Amino acid sequence: MYRIRRGLDIKMTGSARQMLEQHTPHTYYVCPPDFRWLKPKLLVNEGDSVKIGTPLFCRKEDERIVVVAPVEGTVRAIVRGEKRAIEAIIIDRKDNSETSRPVDISETNDANSLKQMLLANGLWPFLRQRPFSVIPSPDSQPKALFISCFDSSPLAPDYKILLKGKKDEWEKGICILKQVIGPSPIHLCLRKGDDNTFFESTENVDIQYFKGPHPAGNVGTQIHRIAPIDKGETVWYIHPQDVVTIGRFFLRKELSFEKTIALTGPKMEQPGYISTIYGADLSEILKNNNVVSHFSRRHRRHDATLRAENIRYIAGNVLTGKQMTEFNATHFYDSQVTAIAEGGEREIIGWLLPGLRKWSFSHTYLSWLYPSQFTNKENNSNFLIYNTSLNGGRRTFMMTDVYDKVFPFSIIPLSLLKACLTQDIEQMEELGIYEVDDEDFALCEVVCPSKMECQQIIRDGLFLLYHNA
Amino acid sequence: MEFFTNLSDKIGKKLEKGRPFHFLYSTYDALDSFLLTPKTITTSGSHIRDAVDMKRIMITVMIALFPALLFGMWNVGHQHFLSIGEDTTIWQSFGYGFLKWLPLVIVTYGSGLLVEAIFAQVRGHQIAEGFFVTGFLIPMIMPPDVPLWIVSVATIFAVLFGKEVFGGTGYNFLNPALLARAFVFFAYPSVISGDAVWISQSADVISGATPLSLVMNGSTSVLPSNWSLFIGTIPGSFGETSKIAILLGAILLIYTQVASWKIMISVIIGGLLTGTIFHATGACPILGWQHLLLGGFLFGAVFMATDPVTATHTQSGKYIYGFLIGAIAIVIRVLNKGYPEGMMLAILLMNIFAPLIDYCVIQLNIRHRKKRILRKKIQSHFGK
Repeated sequence: MYRIRRGLDIKMTGSARQMLEQHTPHTYYVCPPDFRWLKPKLLVNEGDSVKIGTPLFCRKEDERIVVVAPVEGTVRAIVRGEKRAIEAIIIDRKDNSETSRPVDISETNDANSLKQMLLANGLWPFLRQRPFSVIPSPDSQPKALFISCFDSSPLAPDYKILLKGKKDEWEKGICILKQVIGPSPIHLCLRKGDDNTFFESTENVDIQYFKGPHPAGNVGTQIHRIAPIDKGETVWYIHPQDVVTIGRFFLRKELSFEKTIALTGPKMEQPGYISTIYGADLSEILKNNNVVSHFSRRHRRHDATLRAENIRYIAGNVLTGKQMTEFNATHFYDSQVTAIAEGGEREIIGWLLPGLRKWSFSHTYLSWLYPSQFTNKENNSNFLIYNTSLNGGRRTFMMTDVYDKVFPFSIIPLSLLKACLTQDIEQMEELGIYEVDDEDFALCEVVCPSKMECQQIIRDGLFLLYHNA
Repeated sequence: MEFFTNLSDKIGKKLEKGRPFHFLYSTYDALDSFLLTPKTITTSGSHIRDAVDMKRIMITVMIALFPALLFGMWNVGHQHFLSIGEDTTIWQSFGYGFLKWLPLVIVTYGSGLLVEAIFAQVRGHQIAEGFFVTGFLIPMIMPPDVPLWIVSVATIFAVLFGKEVFGGTGYNFLNPALLARAFVFFAYPSVISGDAVWISQSADVISGATPLSLVMNGSTSVLPSNWSLFIGTIPGSFGETSKIAILLGAILLIYTQVASWKIMISVIIGGLLTGTIFHATGACPILGWQHLLLGGFLFGAVFMATDPVTATHTQSGKYIYGFLIGAIAIVIRVLNKGYPEGMMLAILLMNIFAPLIDYCVIQLNIRHRKKRILRKKIQSHFGK
C-alpha cells in the first residue's frame, strides 16, 4: 500500500448520488482541443452524413489515429477559432437513431490486429501517455499501463456507479488492453478502505492500494510511486469508463460511445448521474437543473448570460476542468460537470475581516474554527464559500512553503516551476518534469497566495520539451 | 457597497492609460485593492482559489507582531521613567512609548511607500504589500530615540538597494528591514550602539546598557534576572525585549502556517548548541539558553529569519539555514565584542548564502531522484 501524506481534500457540497435519466439530445460536439497538442486533419465536410464510427478528423502526423463520430447524423457545422484552428465539429443526431452500431470483427489475439481495430474505430484516443498526456503512438511500447480506479478530486464521480453492471465489458476491456501492451504490467490503483469488490477480482493486473488525500487518485501520483518515468520512457493510462467502452466493442461487437456523467457542484440543483453519449449537448439538462436560467441552446458565445446567472459550468472538476462557454459538452476524457458560483464580488477591506466563511488551506482566516474541516460532514460544509474569485492579486513567488504541503512527489515544486519559467530544458529534465503533468500542480495553484498559474507554467514547460523532442 | 464599487470603477477609468493622470494609476490600484477585495475571477487553471493572498499573509505577520509592539511601547516608557526616577502608571508609560513609536512608523511608511510607489508606477506593477511588514518592523528594531531623518534615509536605502534594484518584492535577497538597521549600524554607529541609546532620554547618571552589552563587557553580576529578561522589562528597542510577547507571535505565525517553524526551531537549536559549547569551553560566562533571552536573538529567529523570500526556498535547506543563523549569531556575539548584536549580521550573512544552500539541496534532490528511478527499475525488473 502506498500512503500519500501531502495533499488536500477539498470538501464541497453537491456530489452526485442518485442516477438520473438517460439523456440523448439532438446536438453533439466533438472538440479537437480535447486532445492535447493534436493537429487535426479534417476528414468530413459540413453537411456530410456520418455514422457511429465515421472518422471526423485524424492526427496530421500520424493518420492512423482518428477521432470518430459518436452518433449517427449529419455534420451541421465546423467551428473554427483563432488562426482557423478547428474548435468543434457539431453533429446533428438523426432522430431515433440507435446509440450503438453493430460491427463485424473477428476474434483475434494478435496485438497488431487488435491495435488496428482500436485505431480504425476511434477507440485508440482513449489511451494517453505520460509524459505529456498525449495520445500514444501505436508503434511505441509503454513501460506499464495505469488505470486509476478512484478519483480523489473535489466532488469526483464514484467509479462504482459509472461502471455499475458492466463487469463483463470491464474484464473484456482489460483482457484486450493486456494483449495490446504485451509484456508490460497493468497497474490497477484502488483506494484503501473503499468497497473494491468490482475491481479486485480482475485478472491479469497488478492491484495497488493508495491511501491519503488528493492527489492520491491522479495517475501522476500513482506512476510516481510505482514506476517513475525516466527520460525516453512512456507509461500509458486510461479511464476505467473507457476500458468498458473498449470491452463493449469486443464483447458485444457493437460500437457505442455511451458514458455516464456526473452532474455535481454546489450550484447544481439536482446533482446526479446521467447516462449519455460522449459529446452530448448538455444545455438542456443543465437548464432543467437550475431554477433560473436562460441557457442558450443555439451555438454562440454566451459568457454574458452565464455571468448574469452567476453560475459557472465546468466540464471536469474545479481543479482541472474547463469552463463551458460555447459548447456545453463534457470533454473526451471527462465524466463530470461541476457548477459553482461565479465570484468577483467586492468586499470592503476583505483581507482584514475574520473570514468565517472563507475557504483557505492556511489558517489565516477564522474559518478553520468551523468543525466541518475536521469532521468531514459534507452536508455542513455548505457553510464555506467556494466561488471563482481569484481572491487576490498576482504576485511573485513569495511563500515558499505552501507548494510542498500539497505536492506528494519527490520533486521540488518551486524549482521545477522556475526551471519551466526560465525554459531551462536541462534543469527541467533533471528536476523531474517527465513525471508530472499540469493536473499534478493543480493543488499548488489553488493554495498559492501569489496566485501563480502553476498549471499553465508546467504545461508550457512540457510543450517546450514535446516540441524539442 | 455597490456605491463604493462603482465609485472605484469610475476613478479607475479616469486613470487609464492615455489619460493625463495615468501616473497615479498604481497608487489608485494599490488603494483600490487595499479597500476593496479584487473583483478578478479565475480565467484559466483551477476554478477555485484559496482565500489567502499576500495581503492576508502580511496582516497576519503584523498581528503576530502586535504583542511585542504593545509591550515594547509600554517598556520604552517604563524604562524612561525608571531612569529619571519617576513613578508612573501603566498608561503613562504606554503613552510615552506610543508617542515615541508613532513618528518613527509614520516616517518609515512615508519614505518607504514613496519609493515603492514610484517604482511600481515606472514598472507598471501593482504596489506589492511586502513593505507593510518591512515598514512595521523597522521602527521595532531601532533605538527609541533614533533621529527621524536617519530612519528615513535608512528606509529609503533599504527599499531602494535592498529590493527595488533587484526587481521588487520577491526578488530581493536581503531582508529589507534588517538592511535598514544594518545601514544605520554602519553609517551612524553612534545612534545605535553604546550604552546610552537604548533608554529613551535617560538621565545621565543611569547606564542604559542592555543586558546583552553587560554580558559582553563581562559584567554578568549586574545582569537582570532571567525572569525579567523573559518578560522583557529591560532596555532595548521596541520589539526585541519581551520574549513572551515574541513567543505569542511565534505561535500565531506557526499556527497560521505563515512562517516556517523549521527555521525558528533550527535557529534556536543552533543558538543553544553554540552557546552551550562556548560556555563549556569557558569563552562565554553565560549558559547557552540564556543567549536566547538576550538581545534580538528571539525576535530575529521568529520575525526576521523566517522571511520567506530571503530564507532558503527548499524545505531541507531551511534547517541548515536556520541552524547556521543561530550558530553564527552566537559566534559573533561571543568572539567579537565590537558587535554585540550578532543576530542581525548572522541573518544578513545567511540571506546571502541561502541561494547556495538551495543550490546544494536541489543538486542532492536531483541525485536522489536518479537513484530512486534506478532502484524502482531494478525492483520492477526482478520483482519485489
